[in-house]
Amino acid sequence: MKVKLLIMVVMMLALSSFCFAQDNATEAGTEDTDTTAVVESIILPAPPGNLTGIDKPNDHGHAAILSWDLSPDDGAGENSVLKYEIYKWVPQLMLDINLVRDSLSVIQRILRNTTSGITEGTQADSMKIVFEKYSRDELFDIRNTLIAHVKQENTGLAEASNSYPENGAWLFVDKKPSGTKSFVHIGSKDFKSAGFVPDFANLYYRVDAVTIDGAKSSSKVLGPIQTSGQWYNTYRTPVVFSVLFFTLLTIYFVREARKGADLYVRPLGGIEAVDDAIGRATEMGRPILYVLGLGSAADIATIASFTILGRVAKKVAEYQTELLVPTYDPIVMTVAQEVVKSAYLDAGRPDAYKEDTVHFVTQSQFAYVAAVNGIMLRELPATNVYMGKFFAESLILAETGALAGSIQISGTDEIAQIPFFIVACDYTLIGEELYAASAYLGKEPVLLGSLKAQDYAKAAIILLAVIGVVLAQFEFGAAFVNLFEVAN
Amino acid sequence: MKKTTIITFAVISALFLVSWIAKGMFTEGSSPFLDGFLVTLAAFLTLAIMSFLYKDNPYYKFAEHLFVGVSAAYAMCLGFWSTIVGNLIPRLSSGISEFFKVSYIEGDYNFIYFIPIIFGILLLMRLSPRGGWLSRWPLAFIVGTTAGLNFVRYLRSDFINQVSSTIVPLMIDWQGFGHFFSNLNFSATGQLVMMFSNLVIFIGVTCGIIYFYFSKEHTGWFGRASKIGIWILMITFGASFGYTVMGRISLLVGRITFLFRDWLEIIS
Amino acid sequence: MTVLNPLFAISAQTIGITLTLIIIGLGLAWLFWRSFSGKEVDRRIIFIFIFFSVAAPILFKISFTFKAIPIVSALYDKVESLPAGSTVLISYDFDPAMAPEVQPMADALSRHCLSRDLKIIYMCLFPTGQGQLEETFRTVVREEFPNKKDGIDFVNLGYKAGGEGVLNVIVTDFEKMFPTDVNSVPYGDIQVFDNIKSCQNLDLIISIGGGRPGIKEWVLFVGDPGNVPMAAGVAAVVAPQLYPYFPNQILGLLGGVKGAAEYENKMRDEHEQFKDMPTPATTMMGPQTLAHIVVMAFIIIGNILYFRNKRREEG
Repeated sequence: MKVKLLIMVVMMLALSSFCFAQDNATEAGTEDTDTTAVVESIILPAPPGNLTGIDKPNDHGHAAILSWDLSPDDGAGENSVLKYEIYKWVPQLMLDINLVRDSLSVIQRILRNTTSGITEGTQADSMKIVFEKYSRDELFDIRNTLIAHVKQENTGLAEASNSYPENGAWLFVDKKPSGTKSFVHIGSKDFKSAGFVPDFANLYYRVDAVTIDGAKSSSKVLGPIQTSGQWYNTYRTPVVFSVLFFTLLTIYFVREARKGADLYVRPLGGIEAVDDAIGRATEMGRPILYVLGLGSAADIATIASFTILGRVAKKVAEYQTELLVPTYDPIVMTVAQEVVKSAYLDAGRPDAYKEDTVHFVTQSQFAYVAAVNGIMLRELPATNVYMGKFFAESLILAETGALAGSIQISGTDEIAQIPFFIVACDYTLIGEELYAASAYLGKEPVLLGSLKAQDYAKAAIILLAVIGVVLAQFEFGAAFVNLFEVAN
Repeated sequence: MKKTTIITFAVISALFLVSWIAKGMFTEGSSPFLDGFLVTLAAFLTLAIMSFLYKDNPYYKFAEHLFVGVSAAYAMCLGFWSTIVGNLIPRLSSGISEFFKVSYIEGDYNFIYFIPIIFGILLLMRLSPRGGWLSRWPLAFIVGTTAGLNFVRYLRSDFINQVSSTIVPLMIDWQGFGHFFSNLNFSATGQLVMMFSNLVIFIGVTCGIIYFYFSKEHTGWFGRASKIGIWILMITFGASFGYTVMGRISLLVGRITFLFRDWLEIIS
Repeated sequence: MTVLNPLFAISAQTIGITLTLIIIGLGLAWLFWRSFSGKEVDRRIIFIFIFFSVAAPILFKISFTFKAIPIVSALYDKVESLPAGSTVLISYDFDPAMAPEVQPMADALSRHCLSRDLKIIYMCLFPTGQGQLEETFRTVVREEFPNKKDGIDFVNLGYKAGGEGVLNVIVTDFEKMFPTDVNSVPYGDIQVFDNIKSCQNLDLIISIGGGRPGIKEWVLFVGDPGNVPMAAGVAAVVAPQLYPYFPNQILGLLGGVKGAAEYENKMRDEHEQFKDMPTPATTMMGPQTLAHIVVMAFIIIGNILYFRNKRREEG
């Protein structure tokens, strides 16, 4: 059944392709005869000169760049060139395959029930009439066979293009307005698409100058040229360099930190404020509230917050103040419990540790906020510490804390929330300061190493900006500025 | 239940009914009473949420929970229809595609789409107490690919391109002081304003970065630059705060316009 | 509010505005006096002030005109400079919650592009953006441009899940992500796509939104790698974070309802045909302005009291 069907379809295609190929050939042929015929009545424009073409560099292939000298009649008087038309020579095989592609598209539309757009009397319409006779299952079979056929035939394209100029036709590619001197022909890499341009096949192009009367003259034929893909995009070299620079810097400093090298991090105001605030809480005999935010245990901000929590818990254990840590995420809770427990152990007060110091509240954002607000208003903590990831709840928390009269210290890397913390808290660790604080306190190699690497990257930015700004004053500085241009 | 609670509830229900009937009677269209009901419901839910400004109350809680529930369900349905049915099934098999009435997208390597299915199932293993560890594999994949993808893109857009945007000439079109003063003006594209903007960009970026430089004590000239940096940061946060106020008021305007125009119809 | 005659209408509006200003002024004076004499002010009073300053201008239709700032006119000029037939992609990356702020700019941009005979590709990265897109189709595209044809002058690709993933694909290939448009018309049959294979062939991309995925992802995944001109209209909250991308990575930015109002005003000032177009953003700037004045008054009152109390404590 299948085989029979296939033979029929291919027969039909061969027949129709023959007819259409004739049409194409005549079309292509008539153009030349047309122009000669026109010579007598209308004056032809001068053709565009010096047509050159290269493979488009730094791409995945299937594209070529054409450039030409303007026709001397471009923008000149009566006989002015209106546009340029770009043509590509394709072998007969390509035309045949295009027909199969068209029939594939029609089958696809029948399968999707979107044939309403097909105009009557066109090639697509006649194909539709033929294919509509088959059942859906049969159409699927036909389609798959045709796809295999196209794929198979495509392999012969490169060889078929060697027959130039015999056995092929000129196909219209695109048009460009007068004054244009170049054109990038980006073909499709998909062999099922009609715009498919095979790599490593001989390509021939020509450009026609067209006047308002439709008179055309063609440039000399360009070719053969070939397209190909490149493994390395030279335009993106600055990106490779900066990736390498960053990665190596980070790896180097993390290793150094692991080896125990003394990497200096300056003390931060907010961290010193934490110590003072704990002292204040002890004096007042009121608890300290520590909020880890809404982040998961994998967020860097939460990880940084754990280190700071460890420090706070240790001080709290030393001063024998009460600590409250309501949490949002169960995993964060488990980690926080471990952190607090070991901090009490470090302070030599394991007996003072209470299991419910760190407790789980809920995983609903505003319900969590309501619960924490309730704690603030009931327990009246002397100090509230907010460190970690915060979202819309930041202002609600900080405002309630300010109303309750607590000293507040906050830190987050969510840029949008920092302004809210700044207005409502006494100390705020802005963005990266949170990581720095954590690295400063915890000396955790990965955090410390990456902080150091970032510092060097920042120094590089300042250096480059200063050099750049100075050089930008001079003509020759442009070369330096261009180093940072990542073209596509 | 307290008496006041019952009275409040009764009054609100009565107002709702009155609004519904009134809207139904004056609305034109094919189904006036349904439209009237929907507009009234939307208006009462808006008011219920706004009532939180007075104090927390059951009506606010009801509206909030309704919102949370509906949006969670909506997100889930949409996730299924747009991600699984929209993106995955058309690449899996023509049979299932037929069933969901989506068109099958043929390809030579469609079998690789079974990998995301397996990963998806592994991700769901989080729900199982014993197989929870299996969800770490797809998670590792997600974290790894996202980090890799973002690293290069952020480096390009937020590092290299930003460095090149910072490299600005401080003297624009400089032809001596005489020319500068004779052409002095305050237009946004004038020489003075452009030079000043470029200076602000350069100093802002440099001092801002110095503030976030942790390897050196902030003393001396370095400390002064860091002070300027924090000032610039504060101005930025102020601007951001101002924008936020504008954004929030826009939303309030949107809601009040809805109440006045669609519900009460006192403006057109 | 039935209006009897134009004369009465003018006076009713003027009376309304005057009354509002008097009430707000007196209220602020009372607030200042009360807190100055050391009494607590309930925060709910502040809410009433804000409600009043927002509601009154809506009722009495107070509006102002705005001159476009360079970052807004840059986008306007870009749209003006595109030759007819150029293709613009407008992505609706927002949900109904953000709509009051950004829907006006989406509508204004669609109107502007269509009137200049640019082809528009619509899409959304937010699932609920589809509904907002329909809103633009209902009020602008079908209402004001009945001659523009779906598939020829514009196309609606609808929503595609995947966020950055979608962008990562369409920067090199549209068809792979959008084999059909929202009405199931195959890619190959949509005339808008005749010369468009990927985002790199577009003349301008405008992302309208304020969340994630949004303009930042567009710049990261499409604008920069594909070298495509990008512009954005965003909710006010995220606008300050996007300024560093101007002018090299985004050529123009409409920040919040003010940006939209400036764009609307520029359209109205420069084109006769837009004289009577609806200007929702400009209308919204009336309540905005009054509310901002009230907020500023609060800030000034608060600061005066803060410094007075500080001096008292020190003294």
